[in-house]
Amino acid sequence: MFAIYKKELLQYFTSMIGFVFLSFFLVILGIYFWFSNIAGASGNFEQTLGNVTFLFIILMPIITMRVIAEENRQKTDQLLLTSPVSVTKVVWGKFLAIVSLYAAIVLVISTYPLFLKHYNNEIFLSSAYSGIIGFFLLGCAYIAIGMFLSSLTESQLIAAVLSFIVMIITYIMPTLTGMLPSDGKSQVIIVAVVWILVCVASYSAMKNVFVSVLLAIFGEGAVFIIYGMNPKLYDSLIVKILNAFSVAARYDDFTLGILEVNSIVYYLSIILIFVYLTIQMINRKRFN
Amino acid sequence: MIEVKHLIKRYGKHAAVNDLSFTVENGKVVGFLGPNGAGKSTTMNMITGYTAPTEGHILVDGVDIADNPSVAKKNIGYLPEIPPLYPDLRVREYLNFVAEIKGVKRKDRSKMVNEIMSRVKIVDVSERLIRHLSKGYKQRVGLAEAMMNYPSMIILDEPSVGLDPGQTIEMREIIKDLAKEHTVLLSSHIMQEISAVCNEVIIINEGKIITIDTPQNIVDRMNTNSGLHLVIKATKEEAKSVLRNITEIVDVKYDEICEDGCIGMMLYTRDGIDIRERVFYMLAEAKLPLLSMGKEELTLEQAFIRLTGEGSRQFGGRKTKKGEKK
Repeated sequence: MFAIYKKELLQYFTSMIGFVFLSFFLVILGIYFWFSNIAGASGNFEQTLGNVTFLFIILMPIITMRVIAEENRQKTDQLLLTSPVSVTKVVWGKFLAIVSLYAAIVLVISTYPLFLKHYNNEIFLSSAYSGIIGFFLLGCAYIAIGMFLSSLTESQLIAAVLSFIVMIITYIMPTLTGMLPSDGKSQVIIVAVVWILVCVASYSAMKNVFVSVLLAIFGEGAVFIIYGMNPKLYDSLIVKILNAFSVAARYDDFTLGILEVNSIVYYLSIILIFVYLTIQMINRKRFN
Repeated sequence: MIEVKHLIKRYGKHAAVNDLSFTVENGKVVGFLGPNGAGKSTTMNMITGYTAPTEGHILVDGVDIADNPSVAKKNIGYLPEIPPLYPDLRVREYLNFVAEIKGVKRKDRSKMVNEIMSRVKIVDVSERLIRHLSKGYKQRVGLAEAMMNYPSMIILDEPSVGLDPGQTIEMREIIKDLAKEHTVLLSSHIMQEISAVCNEVIIINEGKIITIDTPQNIVDRMNTNSGLHLVIKATKEEAKSVLRNITEIVDVKYDEICEDGCIGMMLYTRDGIDIRERVFYMLAEAKLPLLSMGKEELTLEQAFIRLTGEGSRQFGGRKTKKGEKK
């Protein structure tokens, strides 16, 4: 694992990409820091961090796009998969390498609150640092998602575009769900439609009309029966489900200086899920 | 030792590898021959654990690669068709990385890397970026990767593809050198290479084994049914009228170019019956001077083409029809 980790870091710095990532991130963050905290004479650093989360949408795809797609394209995955290292170690090595790169940025910005403290003793360091912890976790979650998307393709460009789209969706999810109707009836209709789509997808995968129709009938039946028995269950169901994917919204608590266990667990789960999916994606390739 | 038992790989309904079984004994250099699309690379990818077989087992030194991949993979070094190189690393950096993932201990690492670099003759490029190397050097860096940690088996997928003649010969020397200490399984299109370095040849086509034998035996076996080449000072019609009387001749192929006033031809007989004496006397009686007569010596290349049905069907190769021969 350590070998993969070192190689990844080395590659980030033999190509420009590592430097571009670090410098771009720090420059933009620095500008925001200057305007809101220094020129704006505000001691609230967590707020500043909350304002720059849009950077992830631009920068995380750039740093994660090559991580597995490029191995697939260069056929160097043949070396990794035929050497006596497990796929799990390969993927964790890669993930930790990007995390370290990102951690370097977080380390630099960790000094900013101390800098502010130097000018004003009444600044709450604890809330600033809970903001930084959240910022770090949010970044790691995006890295895991980007890495997974990179494992789906051989092309860095496609990986970057996919990550970009997915990250934008997670970013604007609260806005999207806000537009959805939240009463029980419309939720039932949405669930019913989604279930039909699932059945169509299962048909295209299995090419079995009977099973798909059966699935559709029983599924739809269950949806409406449950609605008849307990309509309360459907209240803003879709909104709740979709909000689970709004990775960025979870960060709001941190910007208020609240260190919530829920959100920490949420980010750690996102990381574990997507690292696991990446491992599965690479393993799956051996069998098709 | 590599034991391959009833190996099958299906892509959808198409079987790329269809029930292959063979054994690569320790200390041997085994050539793996077949036209493009025969399933060579697929088989090698399965032996090295890169892809999983649909059915069947692969044992490396008695260890099933499906049950205990990390132990089995330790004993195998693999150079795939495209050498798995990172263009943005330097040669030494790359080989250090390979040594590390193959489990070479830290204290032995730089010594082993240096040793292997000098064996495959890449010391002079050790500080260059892999991106800037020529094809021949890249191939040798790939070979260094396969040799790393001195596995007992080395599997090479078309190691000399895309090399110039000088480099090809050098590669052959390196493979011969490897064979002293390692068991080598090697696929190639270049028959001279196979006959120069291999003790045993496995010929496959369309995912099935056609023959397993020594290169010499394969050629000998094919030679019993080879043609008889004649050069006669006569016209085509004269020669035809005489040779028509020998009923054992099943096929005749005329040379396209021959000396003036002469005709060259290749005769094929039923079951390889020897007709040399009769041809001689009959031509002499007809006063048609026989200028030369010789048995066609098949090279391994020709034997290979015959065994695999005259080229690959999958990639534009075409079967010669009976009618085209005459």
